[in-house]
Amino acid sequence: MMRGDQANRLNNGGLIDRTAPLSFRFDGKNFLGFKGDTLASALVANGIKLVGRSFKYHRPRGILTAGSEEPNALVELRSGARREPNTKATTAELYEGLEAASQNRWPSLNFDVMSVNQLFAPIFVAGFYYKTFMWPAKFWEAIYEPAIRRAAGLGRAAGVSDPDHYDKAWAHCDVVIAGSGPAGLAAALAAGRSGARVILCEEDFVLGGRLLADGGTIDGLPAAEWIAGAVAELTAMPDVRIMRRTTLFGVYDGGTYGAIERVNDHLPVPPEHQVRQRLWRIVAKRCVVAAGAIERPIVFAGNDTPGVMMASAMRSYINRYAATPARRIALFTNNEDGWRTAETAIAAGLQVAAVIDARPDVSPAHRSLASKGGFPVLHGSVSAVDRGKAGVRKISVALTGGARAEVEADGLAVSGGWNPAVGLTSYHRGRPKWRDDIAAFVPDGAPPGMVAAGAANGAFGLGACLREGFEAGAAAARDAGRGGNIGSMPVADDEAFSLTPLWHVAGNGKAFVDQQHDVTASDVELAQREGFQSVEHLKRYTTLGMATDQGKTSNVAGLAIMAAVTGKSIPETGTTIYRPPYVPVAIGAFAGHHRDENFHATRLTPSHHWAAEQGAVFVDTGLWKRAQWYPRAGEKDWLESVTREVKAVRSGVGFCDVSTLGKIDVHGPDAGAFLDRVYINAFSSLAVGKARYGLMLREDGIVYDDGTTSRLAEDHYFLTTTTAKAGLVMQHLEFCRQVLFPELDVQLTSVSDQWAQFSIAGPKTRDLLKEIVDPAEDLSNEGFPFMGAREVKLRGGLKARLFRISFSGEMAFEISVPARYGEAMARNLMLAGKPFGVTPYGTEALGVMRIEKGHVAGPELNGTTTAGDLGLGKMMSTKKDFIGRVMAGREALTVPNRQVVVGIKPTDKARRLRSGAHIIPKGETPGPENDQGYVTSVCFSPVLDQWIGLGLVERGRERIGEIVRAHDPLRGEDYDVEFCNSVFYDPDGGRQRG
Amino acid sequence: MADFSWDIRSPLDRALVAGPYGAQGEAGVSLTEIRNFDLVQVMARRGKAGETIAAAKARLGAAAPETPKAVSIADATVIWSGPDQFFVLSKGGKHSIDALASVFAGSASLSDQSHARALISISGDKARAMLAKLSSIDLHPDVFGVGAAAATSMDHTSVTLWRGDDRNGQAVFNLLVFATFAESLWHTILDSAAEHGVTIGHSEDLA
Amino acid sequence: MRIICPFCGERELGEFTYLGDAKPQRPAADAGEDAVYDYVYLRDNIAGVISEYWYHGGGCRAWLKVTRNTLTHEISAVEPAAGAGAAKVGA
Ligand SMILES: [Zn+2]
Repeated sequence: MMRGDQANRLNNGGLIDRTAPLSFRFDGKNFLGFKGDTLASALVANGIKLVGRSFKYHRPRGILTAGSEEPNALVELRSGARREPNTKATTAELYEGLEAASQNRWPSLNFDVMSVNQLFAPIFVAGFYYKTFMWPAKFWEAIYEPAIRRAAGLGRAAGVSDPDHYDKAWAHCDVVIAGSGPAGLAAALAAGRSGARVILCEEDFVLGGRLLADGGTIDGLPAAEWIAGAVAELTAMPDVRIMRRTTLFGVYDGGTYGAIERVNDHLPVPPEHQVRQRLWRIVAKRCVVAAGAIERPIVFAGNDTPGVMMASAMRSYINRYAATPARRIALFTNNEDGWRTAETAIAAGLQVAAVIDARPDVSPAHRSLASKGGFPVLHGSVSAVDRGKAGVRKISVALTGGARAEVEADGLAVSGGWNPAVGLTSYHRGRPKWRDDIAAFVPDGAPPGMVAAGAANGAFGLGACLREGFEAGAAAARDAGRGGNIGSMPVADDEAFSLTPLWHVAGNGKAFVDQQHDVTASDVELAQREGFQSVEHLKRYTTLGMATDQGKTSNVAGLAIMAAVTGKSIPETGTTIYRPPYVPVAIGAFAGHHRDENFHATRLTPSHHWAAEQGAVFVDTGLWKRAQWYPRAGEKDWLESVTREVKAVRSGVGFCDVSTLGKIDVHGPDAGAFLDRVYINAFSSLAVGKARYGLMLREDGIVYDDGTTSRLAEDHYFLTTTTAKAGLVMQHLEFCRQVLFPELDVQLTSVSDQWAQFSIAGPKTRDLLKEIVDPAEDLSNEGFPFMGAREVKLRGGLKARLFRISFSGEMAFEISVPARYGEAMARNLMLAGKPFGVTPYGTEALGVMRIEKGHVAGPELNGTTTAGDLGLGKMMSTKKDFIGRVMAGREALTVPNRQVVVGIKPTDKARRLRSGAHIIPKGETPGPENDQGYVTSVCFSPVLDQWIGLGLVERGRERIGEIVRAHDPLRGEDYDVEFCNSVFYDPDGGRQRG
Repeated sequence: MADFSWDIRSPLDRALVAGPYGAQGEAGVSLTEIRNFDLVQVMARRGKAGETIAAAKARLGAAAPETPKAVSIADATVIWSGPDQFFVLSKGGKHSIDALASVFAGSASLSDQSHARALISISGDKARAMLAKLSSIDLHPDVFGVGAAAATSMDHTSVTLWRGDDRNGQAVFNLLVFATFAESLWHTILDSAAEHGVTIGHSEDLA
Repeated sequence: MRIICPFCGERELGEFTYLGDAKPQRPAADAGEDAVYDYVYLRDNIAGVISEYWYHGGGCRAWLKVTRNTLTHEISAVEPAAGAGAAKVGA
């Protein structure tokens, strides 16, 4: 057996594995602990009392609790990229090689420069953020904020990317149970035996809850034996899942619960292929909250001195971890339960210095314990704590009746009673109710399907916990439709309960309510004097309960003090709103797999891998990766590549994968009538074998989307959408089909992924196509006229769809083949096009050619423009109703001074035009009153050998030839531009029809 | 005249590397891509749901499911894909869109989806544990039995999921995913399965 | 939140897209601008039970009419839109 110098480790007992010593480092020093320890218990065993400095005043702080409610013992766990700030030492499981550092101290924990903040305490009182740093505003950013960050704050983030993986998963069950104490285990037994699918979540790494520290006798067995039996029985049930290291942190609508599983936090590095943490979304028909209760402190001067500890935590360290937080312990209690710490201390061979009991009477049993143990029982309250170098040294007691006493001790256990953990039950804006008999808030109802049991419901006796848990588990299973035999209920005695409420002992010196945020009792009183009496105001003004512990040990005391100073009762004062998560959850767990290159799902075009082989540069457009341009050796920048691609198309032939366009099959006898209603122009009149450009409006008259739609058969249209709106147009069309026009017999299917579609453009397009298409197909202007659309046979027998449409202004076709042939099509186009100098082009060249041709796209279809604004007003049919028709006629959408699409070019041909530049008339001052529009799309036009663009400008089309200023304050530019026809290239359209 | 061929290439052709992946030892998850299938979406026309089902039965010998189910017959699987619509999944052209056109003439609209999807078959001890990371639906054997189907989403991507016949005593989950999303979802699947150990392959045969 | 799709069964919120109040009916072609204005813009802001359109886009692509209490998020009924599936409506 190896103990190292764990001087405060008991020789026997505890749920630690003494055969498995673990070495760890705290603030650079080496220590030993055992498997089964938390970092906190190992520090206790090694006699470390000072574990951090406080948030505002940098006061030395020790370990207050033994659970996830801990406000003080926050450490930076691990190092380097895995450094994790604000980790509770009380829940961090010890592992070999653990490294931790205390927070908020500089340069060291024992000598902290910033503790001079205590001398300036008046500026750190309640509301100090609001009072001190209000003016002038720029001082905030430059001086105050950085200074406060340095002086006050929590741990340091790693500053580099987290190397570990996180994931997310769903789980489904009949009954989810939060907590595996006596109530939770009993609930799981009842539900599991009845045949229910059960998930039991326990945030600790060992099942048993308070039984682990307080023991007891259940069904005549020692608690540990009963737990082992219960766990064995549950483990044997195939539909019961026990999740250790898992906190149920939130409840959401429809019986969905959030849980965080710390899968590998107990290891220095997760094993290969494993995650560090997993976020669970649990869908459960019923939920039993058996999350227990949290022992509450009593607020008195010096209550934050290292060595002051919750009485129950002290029992946890002694009984569960065989670690002694002190040698000579004083106990300050206002209730019967606190006395168990005196019993535990005596049983462990420790000295009890005194019990300070705020109640008027102490039971005969405890009186005899005191006389046997040789310690006094003092009726009164702790009024001050005298701190030595190692923490608690002497305790001043104000005795009932006015006298004073002093007690020498190196540890002070405090018990102010217990607060049921009412978080989960209150997350749907539930307000817990006050129970006078236990002086605590208990759940008052809960979200649908949820019930609290045991201590979480205010039932503090062991027998009551088992009974409530068992009954709740049985009822939950029954409600979920499970009716198996639940067997017999576990039985135990109930302990006596007696408590005299005591929240705050008046005295000199700082008495802390919220230790993590350094909020004192006098801060609460100050808030009241300044008018912040509502608990929600109190919380925000003092920051009480807003730290990472969410006030688990402080909220009730804070509002009790507020109640006292306002003369109201505690229930009248009320609680703040409870919100999830119950414990902090790493953002990484919410992100899961979705980070870096997996931030979102990506879509690849059918020719993606071919394009990658060609060295294409890809751009993210929505979820898609699209080839943006194909650089060639020697090209100095993107512009050179793009210009080459454009010239190649305009002089020869090029092709571009346009499979990203949304593609929808519109079938049915009423397909034409349906399209007439969703487009502003007519489609029922479109001949089979023809394509037509269509424009859709929203019902408010604004343009929604555009694209070409072809009629492939009498009852079959093939509709295309923009890349960006593909999914939304499908949704819109389904709405039209199912909701607006259900009388029409029409069927819709997305075929976006079915077809690999390529645009082939340039004067040599036909030459290239003749190589690909079966010679029997007539591609002549007569045989396949502009806007023709039909199925063709390719060489080799494959069937394809061919559309004679042009986005570039050149002679062009779009050809579709089934997607698994997409890559072959790209390769074959390259092969067949070699004699014609075929050039693959990307989205940039596509964009250049559409701007040269004056085609509108995303920047012009921007959710504010009408068909008229885009120069497409004449397309609006007057012979039929269509979506957006009536609203498009509104005055504001038809006034003559609307901003409309116009061509724009700088008067200085060498100047670069920039999108976003504002249009200001010559001689006017730039500003909103003279702003007439802006430049929407720009490109360098190889045809015109200058930068050109499109803009949305007031009366733009009437102002061709006018020279105005392009004012670009963002880039500090201001230059003259001329309005021109938006069709810069081949305005007669001869090339695309030729 | 150029001499070229029309090679067919699955959307997972590049991403799929046959063999073991992830944690070593017995693979908990088995992933098989099924390649080159015929998939036809059949959508009943208004008021013709009954006729469509009758036509399917006459042709395939099995009633097309009217609820989220998948029905396997000798040479095809019929999978519910939404109200009054279903997929016919088959091989070798026997139930291709051209072959089915006359069967449903007048009763339903057909859309060829053969190239619009990738098909992944998932099995193994840990198949459910892996799928729980991707799918929000309950795959417990009592809830999602043999023949159960779902139109659902994984990783924000629409999928069709159904449970085929058990193989070697293990559940088999079949997943149709949009072709352009397939590689992305494949990587997500591998990421989710890695801790369980994976064995990867592809096949030309429908399960 | 979970919605019971009448076709697919109970599904999580992420599979659905919200549209809004299902009460306004698209006016007839000759109803005039005021009626269309009301249809496009005017909505009651109901604290309580409302019928609204949701789209099961991540599932069967049916549009659904969901009856939901905006105060509690309780869903009391879900029915398909009139023209979901192959339902025959009108003449
Ligand atoms: Zn659905």
